[in-house]
Amino acid sequence: MTLAYTMNRRSILLGAAATTLGVSLSPRMGWADSHAAILDMFKSADIDWRAFDGETLVVGAMQHPWADSIESALPIFEELTGIKVTLTKQSETEYVAEMPIKLGAGSAEPDVMMIHALGQFVAAGWAAPLDQFYEDPSLFDAAWYDNDDMFAMARDFPTQPDGENYSMSITAEAQTLFANQKSLDAAGLDLPKTMDDFLAAAIAMKTDMQAGIVMRSKSDGTAGTWPCGGFVFSYGGEVIDADGACVLNSDEAVAGVDMYGRLLKEAGPLGVGNYHWVEVLNDFSSGAAAMGCDSSNFATDISDPAKSIVAADAIYGALPQAGSKPIKANIWAWQAGINANSTKQKAAFLLLSFLNSKPGCALSSANGLATVRNSAWKSAAFQERFGAQAATAALANLNSGDAVIFKRAWFHPKAAEILDPWGIAINEVATGQKDARTALTEATDKINRALGA
Amino acid sequence: MSSQAIKTTTIQREQKKFILLMLAPATILMLALTLFPFLVSLYLSFTDYSLIKPDEVNGIGVKNYATLLNSPDFWTSVRVTLVFTISAVAVQTVLGVGIAALLHHETRQAPWLRVIYLLPMAITPIAATFTFRLMFNPSLGVFNYFLTSLGFPPSAWTASPEFALFSLILVDTWQWTPFILLIVMGGMAALPPEPEEASAMDGAGPFRTFFWVILPQLKPYLALALLFRLIDAFKTFDIIFVLTGGGPGILTRTLNLLAYKHGIEFLSMGYASAIAIIMLIFTLFVGQIFLRRLNLFDLKD
Repeated sequence: MTLAYTMNRRSILLGAAATTLGVSLSPRMGWADSHAAILDMFKSADIDWRAFDGETLVVGAMQHPWADSIESALPIFEELTGIKVTLTKQSETEYVAEMPIKLGAGSAEPDVMMIHALGQFVAAGWAAPLDQFYEDPSLFDAAWYDNDDMFAMARDFPTQPDGENYSMSITAEAQTLFANQKSLDAAGLDLPKTMDDFLAAAIAMKTDMQAGIVMRSKSDGTAGTWPCGGFVFSYGGEVIDADGACVLNSDEAVAGVDMYGRLLKEAGPLGVGNYHWVEVLNDFSSGAAAMGCDSSNFATDISDPAKSIVAADAIYGALPQAGSKPIKANIWAWQAGINANSTKQKAAFLLLSFLNSKPGCALSSANGLATVRNSAWKSAAFQERFGAQAATAALANLNSGDAVIFKRAWFHPKAAEILDPWGIAINEVATGQKDARTALTEATDKINRALGA
Repeated sequence: MSSQAIKTTTIQREQKKFILLMLAPATILMLALTLFPFLVSLYLSFTDYSLIKPDEVNGIGVKNYATLLNSPDFWTSVRVTLVFTISAVAVQTVLGVGIAALLHHETRQAPWLRVIYLLPMAITPIAATFTFRLMFNPSLGVFNYFLTSLGFPPSAWTASPEFALFSLILVDTWQWTPFILLIVMGGMAALPPEPEEASAMDGAGPFRTFFWVILPQLKPYLALALLFRLIDAFKTFDIIFVLTGGGPGILTRTLNLLAYKHGIEFLSMGYASAIAIIMLIFTLFVGQIFLRRLNLFDLKD
């Protein structure tokens, strides 16, 4: 593990983190002092940090803002605990394909891993239960850790039907509407508040050079399902009901997917049928789309002038409302857990709780990561990096999300067999191959056959 | 038996032993990497093995195959695979043979043209695929640039229900026509010149000479090229995965992609193994029965 940052960058990060945590910095306090202050914050926990001195850990991660943001914190962890950490990063496609094979073969590495399909990982026995470590006073100081500082959805996500926690939420993101203020002004429009206004605004702002709206719709379970899920929920629909059956063929769900498809068919870019989140972010950041609707995490890149030409013009808002139904923006909290085959599970838990602690999240949020703690979101460093208006919009959307109906689908052991047919249906509607009712009826039948419902 | 005969038999036995010993490493490797996984796959195809519950493996007889053969998705994938394979290989064969015929006669430009036409084979397939992805980009890609320059509307290409499969065939053709070209050129170089000369002396023009004299002699080479390309095109994965992912909808989801979905994404290894075995049966059918029926290996005519 090499230190990727210069001394100056470290001092800025440490200073930002220290400020976040309310440590008053004297103007004469240098890097060494802020570094010591941060370390003291961790040492104030009633935890035996040096219990696994000399141990080594491997962290398996995707190319992801979380993996990028924890890199600067790992040297501090190493200094605190004496545990050497190796961070491995792969593209999402490689990671998603490789992990089931690695874990299915009983590999002891990685020790700590990002979990993209929690239901699948738990059902397969790949994720170690964490409650045993939470209950170990030498590993966990509940008062110091302060669970109440976390978002409620971040606390709810890891809990499985058996009541056990098999992971920790490491990021918090919500479906957010973003728009180019210049395009809105040129069309004489405000940020849309209703779905009908949303459609009208998208159509009005569509030109030869700019799409009115850009969203995902690639024929894949990981693409359109998440943003379209917010539409389904906001129209009053669900994906999997309380009895475990797929109900995407309900009138409400059909209405949600129909609106999603109409937005893309009538105002989306050419070739939107192949769009995943990368294309959505690229199109909006390059000014090729007037509006977008995707993860709040996009704000970090959209508001960065080095990565976006619309940095100064981007505004953020809540998902528009469908009639009088409550808005239920989709939410997501990336999970990280411990490999059930790891021989260093306690050391791995130390690392996870370090990264997710108040000072740990302060360090990550200073890098612009949307962590799971209120204290980190409210920090000046995060607000500056993420954008104050984006943070306000994201927080509102986070609070509107419904973790219960979300988890029924995305954390189901057969989540892939639910999301794939649904993703195909969304693509068929967005590309005009089928109407929403036909596509969703076929998808629902397929899903229920796979679930045995 | 005379001492000479005994000595000869001993030498022959020693030779056989030596040959077997030399073949042993390659044979063991082949068995380990080909036969053994095949047998495991065959076994798994009769079970409900899933990586979600790896400790529970139950024999379910032919249930996977029955479910597969009754699945509309499976038959859609079969149709897509056959359309892709037959169309791509047909176009590649016509182009490969045509270009080989044109390059057959030595001209000053022929050596350079041969190098240019064979270049696609030298490029890493996945790198070429990603380059094509950029070229197919609806707003920034060069294909739409040329289309709009000629006054045509831009196309969504790989995202278009009408053109997605065509786009894949185009990429596959660009990559693998040189393969057919190479084999046919080699075949034409190995042919005796006398029949061609005799045909020219009898007054036959170049087209008649090619179709009635040269092409029949190229049958074994064509058979080889077709066999390789049909099997290869049948199991194409990389360009489909990168360019369309099986979409739009499932319009480009081939059998290989279907197996990937069920095996790697859904973790249903038993079901995915059944798909793989059926693909193998298809491949054997094409390789053995189809080409033999066409008598492409028969040189008696």
